[in-house]
Amino acid sequence: MKIFTHILVTTVGVKLLHLHGAEVPLAYAFGVAIDIDHLIKLPFYLKAVGLKEKKLGYYWRSSLQEPVGLLWIVPLCFFLNTYVPALFYVMHLCLDYSVRFEKLPLYPYSKWVARGWLIDVADNTKELIVFVTFACLLIALFVRG
Amino acid sequence: MPADRTLRSRLDTLQRPLLRLLHEVFGLSPAMVTGVSLVLSLAAAVAIALRHLPIGLILMAVSQIFDGLDGGVARVYGLGSPAGQKLDTMADRVAEVTIFLAFAVAGTVPIKLVILALVAIALVTSIEQRSGFDPGFKRFVLYFGLWFPYLTLFNVIFVANLAVYVIGLLIIDIKFQRKMDALDGDLDTVASRALALED
Repeated sequence: MKIFTHILVTTVGVKLLHLHGAEVPLAYAFGVAIDIDHLIKLPFYLKAVGLKEKKLGYYWRSSLQEPVGLLWIVPLCFFLNTYVPALFYVMHLCLDYSVRFEKLPLYPYSKWVARGWLIDVADNTKELIVFVTFACLLIALFVRG
Repeated sequence: MPADRTLRSRLDTLQRPLLRLLHEVFGLSPAMVTGVSLVLSLAAAVAIALRHLPIGLILMAVSQIFDGLDGGVARVYGLGSPAGQKLDTMADRVAEVTIFLAFAVAGTVPIKLVILALVAIALVTSIEQRSGFDPGFKRFVLYFGLWFPYLTLFNVIFVANLAVYVIGLLIIDIKFQRKMDALDGDLDTVASRALALED
């Protein structure tokens, strides 16, 4: 999913859970900034595809945003005494797994390839529904104060 | 010749009298040297658990010297094998588990932190062969207990190994990305096609 959707969903999560202090940056780090692996993949994209041609479906993902990441995020949660990283990471994964491109949930431990859920529904439709739903939720949360 | 192999070769030359003593005089195989190292580690763990920290650290240092010598005997006398390497890694982990737990038994470090440090080390070990990245923030860090509190050192061991694990995962991902980029055809199936080419 697109970065704006991740920011929106994370913001709703932060508001709903009444997070404060260090938990807020943690929520955004694991709900949004985990997408930093796309920057790591950028040089590979530029080398393989270049600037002029835009290739849809280029594999931008890494283990940083796959379920295998929970192997290090759960111990981190115990270390920090907070559930926030794991929760917002799972939220990020749930959003990404609603987009139908190939994913490697347990790589490098397993060669299992997944497509996610609701793969018969168009990705843009799913993203629009999620965005509108969470935008309404956020507005409702602000209105309620 | 790769740098690490050159370094090992030089180290083997320096250690040769000691390697000769262990293998030719005492008749020890690399696995036996690994065993001696493990026994010394267990003795170190007992000393640490009984709060004899200096003795524990000395025993741990001697065990780590033996830990380095098993590989030397294997290389110099052509006795190396994948099974031997596996045994060495297993012995290292057993040594770490016992020594780390000894700090919890002694009441120096909370058991939760010891377990977290061990989990982080286990994660690094689980991908080390594929990532080729393991700077070794393990038992070695414990010697700094002469200057820093062990609570701090165990925090460092946990955080450093967790970071090493994440970097290791990214290294493996980058290797996989290169495989995918080398493939032509449908991008929608490139990941599964590249996976099919892996061993």
